[in-house]
Amino acid sequence: MVGVPDLAEKAAIMREVGRLRTAGQPIPPELYQRHVNATNDNYATGPDPGQSIPAFSLPDQHGNLRSLADLAGPAGLLLVFHRSAHW
Amino acid sequence: MEQSRPLLEESGVGIAAISYDSPEVLRGFAEKFAIGYPLLSDAGSAVIRRFGLFNPNIPSDLRAHGVPHPVDFLVSPDGTVIRKYFVPNYNHRVTASSIALREFGVSAEGAAKVTVRSGPLTVQIGLSATKAFAGEEVAFVARFTLEPGWHIYGSPLPEPYTATSVAFDDRGIIRQSVEFPAAVPARLAATDEILPVYSGSFQVPGSLLLKFPLDSGAIALSGNIRFQPCSDTVCEPPQALPFDLPLIIEPFVVATKG
Repeated sequence: MVGVPDLAEKAAIMREVGRLRTAGQPIPPELYQRHVNATNDNYATGPDPGQSIPAFSLPDQHGNLRSLADLAGPAGLLLVFHRSAHW
Repeated sequence: MEQSRPLLEESGVGIAAISYDSPEVLRGFAEKFAIGYPLLSDAGSAVIRRFGLFNPNIPSDLRAHGVPHPVDFLVSPDGTVIRKYFVPNYNHRVTASSIALREFGVSAEGAAKVTVRSGPLTVQIGLSATKAFAGEEVAFVARFTLEPGWHIYGSPLPEPYTATSVAFDDRGIIRQSVEFPAAVPARLAATDEILPVYSGSFQVPGSLLLKFPLDSGAIALSGNIRFQPCSDTVCEPPQALPFDLPLIIEPFVVATKG
């Protein structure tokens, strides 16, 4: 596909944005848009309404294993996928 | 999200967040921001992959490697997806308060709400939250009430009538969507036309996508409600009711190394 950067080019865009951020410098809008496009390439959104989510059992911030059964209320659960809590 | 947790819990909905951070990092984050809901540690991103959300665009030597595409799922207690929320820009998120207002009709305590009035029409319009981050989606609801004997118009409409609209100004917002309920076709006595009308009380939900970046601090989200009220015998000229809804744009916290 013409114009779609490969992984190495995406990495270069992301590193440049990271460098500018660390240096406290402004990010040019055109570079920022390329960064967003690179990050969102082949955007996937997971199971659709009506489908089942995969089963999971993960530790929470207290180290306790949690799964859907103990997280959901009677009306269900809002499950939010974050990039990171740390940055 | 913490501000919205009571709203969702009132409606019987739990909240949990998943990221690739370790439980230790998540505990620090939860303490620092007084987070009361579970933060799940998917170190290694296995569950992120199982959901099909693994972002393959980030090379393995960058710390963002392993992150998911940011998607929120509202699931039923048996694990069926009820609704899915995502905005194709990782800096834009649908807020939990927006979901609370749109799905369950509840808004955060102290969220901006204003009542505007002109002639037979009263509109109460309010936001889903008192504060949000740049790039997030905030919901609103406009509650219309018309005095008996009066109606306003839906779409589509012939000239010279004016349809009803709720529109926010551009300041602070890059996109808005409004969902008017279906108008009722009514035969109007005076002209014998059949036109789509609204009467009595009805609600109009919508959402606003905030700009990114946006200066932190107080912002006034302003707009206009345009309408043309008609009774069985007379039509008034089209009118615009301006409104202002304050919102606090929260500053991003810059993570420090360590």
